Amino acid sequence: MAWWFWPLFMFVFTLLIGIISPVSGVGGGVLFVPLSTIITPFNIDFIRGAGLVMAVTSALSSAPYLIRKGLANIRIFAIVAPVMVITSVVGGWIGLWVTNAYPDGKYVIKVLLGAIILLVFFIMVSSKRIEFPEVKEEDRDSLSKKLNIWGEYYEPDLDAIIEYTTKNTPVAIVTFAIIGFVAGMFGLGAGWANVPVLNMLMGVPIKVATATSMLIITANAPAIGIYLTKGAILPFIVVPSILGITIGARIGAKVAEIIKPKFVRWLVLAILFIAGVLNIIKGLQGMQIIPPILPGV
Amino acid sequence: MEKKGPEREIRVDEMGLAFAKIMTIFTIVGIVLMVLPAIAYFMGINPYVPLTEAHKYWRLSANDFWLNVTGRKVTGYSWIFDHLDKTDCLSMIGVLILMITPLLSILAGVVKAENRTYRILLLIAALEFIASILVKSLVAVTSGAKKVVKK
Repeated sequence: MAWWFWPLFMFVFTLLIGIISPVSGVGGGVLFVPLSTIITPFNIDFIRGAGLVMAVTSALSSAPYLIRKGLANIRIFAIVAPVMVITSVVGGWIGLWVTNAYPDGKYVIKVLLGAIILLVFFIMVSSKRIEFPEVKEEDRDSLSKKLNIWGEYYEPDLDAIIEYTTKNTPVAIVTFAIIGFVAGMFGLGAGWANVPVLNMLMGVPIKVATATSMLIITANAPAIGIYLTKGAILPFIVVPSILGITIGARIGAKVAEIIKPKFVRWLVLAILFIAGVLNIIKGLQGMQIIPPILPGV
Repeated sequence: MEKKGPEREIRVDEMGLAFAKIMTIFTIVGIVLMVLPAIAYFMGINPYVPLTEAHKYWRLSANDFWLNVTGRKVTGYSWIFDHLDKTDCLSMIGVLILMITPLLSILAGVVKAENRTYRILLLIAALEFIASILVKSLVAVTSGAKKVVKK
């Protein structure tokens, strides 16, 4: 295969992921990394580096539009970011220690993580009213009231402006701390976990949950330093991927505004299911319980 | 049913709008600074690692890739800053700008925060962001250095 084929392929591939990303609130890495390791000839180091830059750039490209439309909530970000940034750094440190001390331990955790993601998937499948959860005044916690967490956006599906607020803020903060820790420890994106917490625990509409999750993903940007200082970010894979994801994410942000909430729900569920299954497969093949199905992981 | 659109303007926080404005500007700057030198790189103009060489080794790990193309491993940012006359290294300046864009956006939010609580929360996020960049870059540099020593 000629060298120019693969950069061109990465552009088309990431364009499609870019469209899905803002609609689902998942950074794109969860689909990009496993699929690229199977399809393309690039080493996993370059794929992971590109996946991270891509996930952050797709979030950076779509978040401003989503903020202006009232879909991504800066107040929730201001509460979640300080918690997640610090716990992800601590998680990263402990993750390095665990990897050095117990090299095979990470595979067991991957299986457990996959199981947790699938559990969240089944909870979301069986729960009702996640498109527009109802938060009554008596449900609101004192922190939500004190911080005056609110927002509004136009829902074309109902042809109405939807106003929303939050509940369970203290529990959600603790949950985000745990998510940040786990994400930092295993070098994962956290979109798969942000959306259910924002939607089911805090009670924000599903479209606001996916958009705010994109905003939270921008806080992963410091991890780019890890790959840059290893020389694992190079133009031949990153540039076509970024162009694809940027154009795709802008299309996706507009799609996110007009798309039916029910479709968003099923898209999130599908990605959760794929992420859960992929993690379990990666863990099991790492423990050599099943033969290698996914290369390079 | 015909959809009329919102009957009034959507209310959005000032700090959110300031955050979004800075994020838009620096994301565009980062992408442009990454893509323009990369176009020159893809055209074969003054590369540090020519594409014909990269093509041979992109299946290898990052460490082995650099060992094969330059004879040494990469640990730190010097491979970028020492070769800014090379189009592929210059392209990485755009990636660095993308890395710090959320920090600049948070600082814009701090300036426009509607009350002290949100100002403090965003300021903490900004400080943690800076610490995180330093820690994650240093961890990579030191772990890379250890590997070189072991070898």
